[in-house]
Amino acid sequence: MVPTSYYVLLSAILFTIGVLGVLLRRNAIVIFMAVELMLNAANLALVAFARERLGVEAQVIVFFVITVAAAEVAVGLALLVAIFRTKRTADVDEVSTLKG
Amino acid sequence: MELLIWLIPLLPFIGFLLNVFVIRRERTAGLVASGMVAAAFVVTLIAVGVLASMPPEERRIVSTAWEWINTGSFQVPFAIMFDPLTAVMALLITGVGALIHVYSIGYMHGDPRVVRYFAYLNLFVTMMLFLVMANNLLLLFLGWEGVGLCSFLLIGFWFERKTAGEAAVKAFVVNRIGDAAFILAMLAIFTYFGTLNFYSEGEGGALGFLERVGDIAGLRVGPNWQPIFVSTAISFLLLIGATGKSAQFPLFVWLPDAMAGPTPVSALIHAATMVTGGVYLMARTEPLFVASFTTQGWVTWIGALTALMAGTAAMAQWDIKRVLAYSTVSQLGFMVAACGMGAYVAAIFHLLTHGIFKALLFLAAGSVIHGTHDTQDMRRMGGLKDAMPITFRTYLIGALALAGIFPLAGFWSKDEILAHAVGHGHTPIFIILFITSLFTAFYMGRQVALIFFGTQRDPSYHPHESPQVMTVPLIVLAVGAIIGGAINLPVLHWLTNWLEPVLHEKAGAFNLWLALIATVGAVGMGYLGWWIYTTNAAKIKIGGKDPIYRYSGDIWEGMAEAWYLDRLYQRTVVAGFERLSDFLARVFDPQGVDGLVMGVGRFFGGLANSLRAVQTGYVRTYALVFTVGVLLVIGFMLWIAR
Repeated sequence: MVPTSYYVLLSAILFTIGVLGVLLRRNAIVIFMAVELMLNAANLALVAFARERLGVEAQVIVFFVITVAAAEVAVGLALLVAIFRTKRTADVDEVSTLKG
Repeated sequence: MELLIWLIPLLPFIGFLLNVFVIRRERTAGLVASGMVAAAFVVTLIAVGVLASMPPEERRIVSTAWEWINTGSFQVPFAIMFDPLTAVMALLITGVGALIHVYSIGYMHGDPRVVRYFAYLNLFVTMMLFLVMANNLLLLFLGWEGVGLCSFLLIGFWFERKTAGEAAVKAFVVNRIGDAAFILAMLAIFTYFGTLNFYSEGEGGALGFLERVGDIAGLRVGPNWQPIFVSTAISFLLLIGATGKSAQFPLFVWLPDAMAGPTPVSALIHAATMVTGGVYLMARTEPLFVASFTTQGWVTWIGALTALMAGTAAMAQWDIKRVLAYSTVSQLGFMVAACGMGAYVAAIFHLLTHGIFKALLFLAAGSVIHGTHDTQDMRRMGGLKDAMPITFRTYLIGALALAGIFPLAGFWSKDEILAHAVGHGHTPIFIILFITSLFTAFYMGRQVALIFFGTQRDPSYHPHESPQVMTVPLIVLAVGAIIGGAINLPVLHWLTNWLEPVLHEKAGAFNLWLALIATVGAVGMGYLGWWIYTTNAAKIKIGGKDPIYRYSGDIWEGMAEAWYLDRLYQRTVVAGFERLSDFLARVFDPQGVDGLVMGVGRFFGGLANSLRAVQTGYVRTYALVFTVGVLLVIGFMLWIAR
């Protein structure tokens, strides 16, 4: 059986990739994908720990996360479409009119 | 009977309410106001009749309407009373008041705010009646403040004139000083007696403080090195209160300025009634004053000093009303000095006669002002006796009565005060008052000469006699000024006997020599005043100097300025206050208060300014900060907070 630490390590790597994706990429769609990556890294960790502890609570939480992520993507993409329609770009650095 | 005495103050109050809420027409306002006060006079007469039919020692009716203030041990009933002293005061207030109301119908005719004027006047009479009818100090204080308010409103009645508004404020502010002392006296009386009632409320009620002044006999207060008798403290505070209302030294400065109000107001409030409130207060609380030898000395000297200062000031005025104003202050000084010497009956006697003939003089002066189209400077008058015969004759009667010429009213009352001073060894006081009475005769002679004799110095107006509605009250008052002395003739002593249950005073002896000398002196000085200003009439120029200025020099200036007392206040109190206000307005407020408020705003403004650079608007920067923050928190949890 694959040890839990492997899963956690994979989860950490995926999460780090997601964080770096959010921080470094400027395209909003890619940022969204990176966010999804982080969410799924968290899901993976949760499932791994659930298997370790022989419980189902964490697996239930995963289903919640998937649902919320789906909703978030729906809202986020809608926002993105709205921004693209007004700005003609998906570059987040162009959307900086709220600066102080 | 109780209902009857409640009617006395209520009738003018009804008149006030009608004038405020119902009446809109000038004519109705005057008629209703005069009618109500006249009705109050009739009711007072009936009440006096009932009082006279009672045995002398029982002549006091006390009536409580309701518990006014009821908090623990502090109980004040809304109670009025009617006793011989109140009776004579109420007769003066309603009697002279009614005549002045009638006169006002003519004097104020055509003024745009006549209805309001009569409303104020009726409210004044109500408040004055509460002042003299109150059975406790607090209700007296209500009347005291009420008349002060009406005085303020009526002095400033023509508020379009800047001087009138300023004079009203001045009267109000100066009176506050006395009122503050009055409140302190009330507190002290409540502390030591536990009640503010003058007399017990009917049979078996708790005694009022005037009936048990003995309670504080020998009690002392104050620091160990300088204790004073409680009776002295209380009566001295009451004296300060009286100096404010009765325009005594050092607070008399407001009265001459108060002449900015309509002339009937000067007659009613600033000559006959309100300013005598202080004298009434001292007579009412006479047991407290008699209990303090120290205070009585102060009362006497303040009265005498005021009489002399104001008497000399009256000699050097050009304004027809200011002469009378200073004369009023001077005569009030006589009354106060009489109170100080223990001659309370003489003080009240002089109060009554003075109320009549000074009201007459003011109303006649108002008639002169009315007939000369608002001329008040006597240098612009002269020779009016043919154009205004009734005014001239009544004015002359008033002047003779004030000067103390036998047998007019002023002679008897003034003589009683002087006789008391001689008879009880107050020689310095007697000398001061006697000289003042000579001055009185002089300035009245001067005034009559300046107004009515010689030729008209300012031909720009055509003098005319006033309408009957004004001259009839003058004639009635002139009759009063002639026969008013009859109420307390020597030998008969009606007033002394009438007031005996309240003031417990026995009649003094009539001093024939004094009466002779005083009359001869008054006639001589009056003639001198008249003679100087008729023979030198040609030398008096509009805006020019007085004929005797050549001989008196700068003393005349001092007299004209009432010995610079007003200017002293102007330079010290007023100037100091103005400087303080100036400092507060120009330095403290903009730099202190505003500086603090603006400083707080600026501090946060600056802080926000430096922090706004953080908000770049780049979402990725925020995400970076967020991530770094999360890493820091995790690092903290892993390595430091383990």
